[in-house]
Amino acid sequence: MNLFFLVGIGGAVGFLSGLFGVGGGFLLTPLLIFSGVPSPVAVASVTGQVAAASTSGALSYYRRGGIDLHLAMYLILASTIGAMAGVATFSALRSAGQLDLFISVSYLLLLGFVGTLMMVEAVRTMMRRRQGIVTPDRLPSQHSWMHGLPMRIRFKKSRLYISVLPVLAIGVFIGWVGALLGVGGGFILVPALVYLLRVPGNVVIGTSLLQVVAMMCVTTILQALTSQSVDIMLAFCLMVGGTIGAQFGASAGKYLRGDQLRALLALLVLAVAIRFGLTLVLPPSDPFSMAVLAGGLPQ
Amino acid sequence: MKRWLLALLMLAAAPAAAETLVSTLSNSQVLITSSFDGATLSMFGSIEPGAEGTAEGPYNIVVVITGPLQSRVARIKTSNYGIWSNTDQVTFQHFPSFYAVISSGKLDAIAPPDVLAQYTVLPEDQARTTAQATGLKAERFSLELVRMMGEEGHFVMQEDGVRFLSNNAYAVNLQLPSDVVNGRFLVRTLVLKNQQLVTERTESFSVRKSGFENFVFVASRQQPLLYGIVCVLLALGTGWLAGVVFKR
Repeated sequence: MNLFFLVGIGGAVGFLSGLFGVGGGFLLTPLLIFSGVPSPVAVASVTGQVAAASTSGALSYYRRGGIDLHLAMYLILASTIGAMAGVATFSALRSAGQLDLFISVSYLLLLGFVGTLMMVEAVRTMMRRRQGIVTPDRLPSQHSWMHGLPMRIRFKKSRLYISVLPVLAIGVFIGWVGALLGVGGGFILVPALVYLLRVPGNVVIGTSLLQVVAMMCVTTILQALTSQSVDIMLAFCLMVGGTIGAQFGASAGKYLRGDQLRALLALLVLAVAIRFGLTLVLPPSDPFSMAVLAGGLPQ
Repeated sequence: MKRWLLALLMLAAAPAAAETLVSTLSNSQVLITSSFDGATLSMFGSIEPGAEGTAEGPYNIVVVITGPLQSRVARIKTSNYGIWSNTDQVTFQHFPSFYAVISSGKLDAIAPPDVLAQYTVLPEDQARTTAQATGLKAERFSLELVRMMGEEGHFVMQEDGVRFLSNNAYAVNLQLPSDVVNGRFLVRTLVLKNQQLVTERTESFSVRKSGFENFVFVASRQQPLLYGIVCVLLALGTGWLAGVVFKR
């Protein structure tokens, strides 16, 4: 793999992640896989890059007081358990030879679903704007069925008094998906926090970023321990490109409106989903493939 | 040149019997550095007369290079309900990561099939003998695995690679691709006359990563926890540094 190619790809994805305010793992992992990096290595190495990309964001939110540490702690604990399950699933699928299939199908479903939702929402906002209807950002309602669950805990910063069960469930799911697919899960976590838990807007992004950093650190160590497919050189090239690209992306993002950004991101997400769909449906150029299971250690 | 003289000196000390083979490799170790893009080794050999005092050709030489062994799996994708997925696989235990057959002529002209099979010269035989399956399935996956290894440059057949310098002396160039596996490489040389094996000789060289690459690779295998922690610290450090440098 070419060093400049890796820094470049990290930079390009970093630009997009800065532009759209997402971690970028869900773009970077597919890009690496499509450019020939074996999917186990891509998934395991991108986790390091996502941690790096989210660290600077998390720090700046922390300085501004935009993180609910109490809520983040519960999410991190749960996602650590989820990540362990995810890494175990990863190893099992890998030895069964079904990891590629699983990754393709998961990306197709996840990105297809999220991309469609974002697209619908962005187009609706754009049409309203064109009709001249000013819609204030909807305030989340104060009650949902979630509030009927037991084991309620008060999260002061988020001004929430909710059951801990949905918080833990979300954490476990994000951890599992993140470890399996090499994504931070910010693009699932943020909507989940906003729409399911009704976390107020001023702490959503910061809390989500902190959770992503912590979970990606745990996942990187777990992958290094179990699958040994973390490539530190690959990860470092991506980190350098990604963190620099993100700064330029963030400045570029100021020139676009929110709904335009979301529509562009939705297009991108859908394009990746379609690409995964094609690999599943189109006949492969070579039906046979091979992989190394073990061996070749230095003597 | 020094090695050549050594080879000639060894000629005098050759034990009495049929013909014997003396040969030497240009390197006993290949180091992989960060700019490594493959390597070429030279091998020189000479066929020496035995007790009968005759070493008359024409001889044919087959050099077989076997890289470090690995467990490898070959899989096939088939379409089920419109979705392509891996549906069958065969594992190959102790399968060479690199395999080259370099000879002084067409293999089927040099040696009959039973001799080639006896010394497992052909790459297909390497696959067949290590396949953890039987019958048609093993045969099919063996052929496909050898084809894929060939396409990636890890299996090489070179039927005009042995150059005769005289009737009894020859030279071979061994090409290693840029992505060779670390470890010990065996070099087997078979000398054939009238389609029968006259003598054989095995020597070896090792390939290892040097410097930082080797350090990183060994660390990832022997100290995975530390390796993971370093990776995490690197990530946090890079992120923090970027935040400081590009403070908004």
